[in-house]
Amino acid sequence: MCAEVEETLKRIQTHKGVIGTIVVNAEGIPIRTTLDNSTTVQYAGLLHQLTMKARSTVRDIDPQNDLTFLRIRSKKHEIMVAPDKEYMLIVIQNPSE
Amino acid sequence: MSIPTAKLKKPTLKVTPSSRAMNISTSGILRLNRSATYARSINASVSRKSFCLAADSKILEKSSVQTPKHTIQVLDENGKDVTPRPVYQPDPAAVQSKHSKIFASDTSGGTMSDFYSTTYQTTTNASFAGAFTRSLFGSGSVSIGSQSIMESMSEEIEDPSSKRDNSISLSDVQVKREEVKELIQEEMLDDMVDLYLVESDTLCLLDMPAISVSVDSMEAESVKERNSRYTELCKNRTGNDKYMGRSMQTFNGASKTKEVQSEAITMADAATIANNWDMYDSFCSAGQGEVDLSTDTDKASIAEMIHQNHGPTRTMERTMSVISSSTIVSSSSSRMEMEPFVVPSESKPDPELILQSEEFQQHLFVMERIILENIYQPKLAAYRQLPTLEDPDSMPKAVPMVVSRREESSLDEEGPPTPALERLWSFSCELTTGRNVSSMAWNKRNPDLLAVGYGQFAFKDQKPGLVCCWSLKNPSWPERIFTCQSGVTALDFSASSASMLAVGMHDGTIATYNVQSREKTPVIDSSDCVHKHTSPVWQVRWINHERALSGEDKGEALISVSADGRISKWFLRKGLDCIDLMKLKRTRNDRFKRQVGEKERKSEALISRQAPGLCFDFHPTDSNIYLAGTEEGHIHKCSCSYNEQFLETYQAHKGPLYRITWSPFCSDVFLSCSSDWTIQLWRQDLFTPVLGFMSTQRAVYDVMWSPKWATVFGAVNEGRMEIWDLGASILDPTIVNPASPGVKLTSLLFATETDCVLVGDSDGQVSVYQLKNFTAGEGTQVGTLEDIIGSTLASQL
Repeated sequence: MCAEVEETLKRIQTHKGVIGTIVVNAEGIPIRTTLDNSTTVQYAGLLHQLTMKARSTVRDIDPQNDLTFLRIRSKKHEIMVAPDKEYMLIVIQNPSE
Repeated sequence: MSIPTAKLKKPTLKVTPSSRAMNISTSGILRLNRSATYARSINASVSRKSFCLAADSKILEKSSVQTPKHTIQVLDENGKDVTPRPVYQPDPAAVQSKHSKIFASDTSGGTMSDFYSTTYQTTTNASFAGAFTRSLFGSGSVSIGSQSIMESMSEEIEDPSSKRDNSISLSDVQVKREEVKELIQEEMLDDMVDLYLVESDTLCLLDMPAISVSVDSMEAESVKERNSRYTELCKNRTGNDKYMGRSMQTFNGASKTKEVQSEAITMADAATIANNWDMYDSFCSAGQGEVDLSTDTDKASIAEMIHQNHGPTRTMERTMSVISSSTIVSSSSSRMEMEPFVVPSESKPDPELILQSEEFQQHLFVMERIILENIYQPKLAAYRQLPTLEDPDSMPKAVPMVVSRREESSLDEEGPPTPALERLWSFSCELTTGRNVSSMAWNKRNPDLLAVGYGQFAFKDQKPGLVCCWSLKNPSWPERIFTCQSGVTALDFSASSASMLAVGMHDGTIATYNVQSREKTPVIDSSDCVHKHTSPVWQVRWINHERALSGEDKGEALISVSADGRISKWFLRKGLDCIDLMKLKRTRNDRFKRQVGEKERKSEALISRQAPGLCFDFHPTDSNIYLAGTEEGHIHKCSCSYNEQFLETYQAHKGPLYRITWSPFCSDVFLSCSSDWTIQLWRQDLFTPVLGFMSTQRAVYDVMWSPKWATVFGAVNEGRMEIWDLGASILDPTIVNPASPGVKLTSLLFATETDCVLVGDSDGQVSVYQLKNFTAGEGTQVGTLEDIIGSTLASQL
């Protein structure tokens, strides 16, 4: 099972346009990253706040609902966040490459 | 009482009343002292009393430090000693000039009460405790209420000097007491002093008996009765002569202000914002019956926020938490959750555990699909016949787009756009490169799921086969990968249980896989079957029999045809077993037979009496009739009811037949393709083909009717892929797509709902092409096909 996870992670990193992949745990400590440490920490910190806010928004509207995925499309890239209780998976892709 | 006053005159015994009074004053508890043992007990415990007193009261200590006979002398102008002498010698121990000491010595009174518990009764009087703190200075027994003493006390209260005298006398007494104490100490320094801590009687400081009585209590009845009597009385009272209203005047008690000093009360601010979901979460968890939820909620939520405030890398400013950390529960939580009722104190999840968890895999899976969607979005949109959205930020691409638009417009000027194939993408990954695509099948329930079998056709290049289940949402990696021991030559998805995939292999094995599970092994395998195929299985099909044959089970059955000349029907009966529906016997050419006769039999050496079967197809409506194609080039029409004889034989092809397929729209018409470079269109009742199609001199490996138009079919031969539209032309294919050099195209599949064609080649790629500018007309064109057939037949006659 672990091998499959590794394979999938590797495949994701090698897809077209993917700039970086980050897995952080609940405290914001990176578990896996393909970017440098400062960028990783910055992304993790900022995206965590945003995810919390997004989740709060979703649940405020309907408490039975919950946030499953977050995508931010910007001029240069697209940031995709898969939040969870214990970790956060962040992928930055440049889709127009 | 006279006793205390009498005793006051004796210096030694001065201790006793004073101490007693002090006891009374300090504790604020009035004790009636009438016991005879009083003197004895006091004497015995004098030392301890004084000890306690000395320890507690600062004033007492100070006074003990002061000069023993410290007298204050008041001298008037004339130097006369007008020191007022107290009328009443107060109990020196009772002096408490500082009010606070009353409280302090209250505790001492408490300790002393230990000694007195056995001898004294405690009486409580709420009013006395409050009002007589001052009046207890030097009071004897106020509870007894000797007015003389009280008056004297009240006088003395206003007189400040009396206090001093009190202190002086106290100091006197104190010194004496000290002396007494010291004597004892010198003698008995090394003695073990036993201190007995005895639980005192309960001191009732305030007793306000309740006005209301519980219904269940024993007095309830009497109370109720009294109540009812009273209400009656009230009722009777109004007009009754017996009762007269009179006004009275009562004394109002004199009020007195009292100041109290206490330590500063620490206050802490706590605030929270209750979100909608916060309340919902607490409510849900409360409904699940968690203990102490309400208290925990507040503590936990606050604790969460504290931790989040102190989180190591977080500089979050949470609008919710304005909390001082002093008085709140400090939790060692490390989880940044929003559930407020969780106060986890567990260790943080191991990173390895996170990576291996199910949720992480799921998230990765979703993430990969989303990334691919970003990459393939235009292609997938074209597949689904949705308008493709241009990325507004991709400026550099705008230029080539403009160019192509100009090209298209120039084409438009020439005439109607020619039908063409546009290559959208191809399913391939590193696992499949180099393998030959032998068969493809769509899932019957999920039209986005494609199963592709990889295996060599020829005998010499055999290697282990592969079955990949691809999803449209991920063209770069298959969802399921099954490796088989020999090359895969046939595939089909079941219609009744949509996750069953039947696989036929080059060594004759038939296996079924469950694509829903993640297991890599087949559900069942035919390798143990006695009657298994001994030669490559060239086609498998799940056929739904509506009519049961000879009482057997209805429903779906797996039918296979293999090169050992048998068409078998497989079923599960203690393992996979099969019965033969038909044995394909070799049929010799009738013409030769007639001419040559017996000589033919001798010269022709038969390897086997069976003709290898290569393909079959069941009639779309009548599941009893099927066609089978053999290596000899014969097409046999057979029935499930007869397994000895063919119903019909159609002979036209000169080479092995690779595919037979009934038309989905016209139930009489079928197509066959073979390695003799031709595709033949037949009608069921005619023994010669109605139409034949030949475009190149290459073996045609696969042919398939279009699911949308009755006049369209696609064919794939070694070098190229062709789409024929009989309504447009019966001589040439409408669309031709050549294969990449060095690659042979081996299989073809139409997509059911969209205008797309899938082509598999010998390099392991399954390319998806979209039919552009192609339409055979409105409707299914069944009429057109029949017209064509009719006109062709008419022209032949």
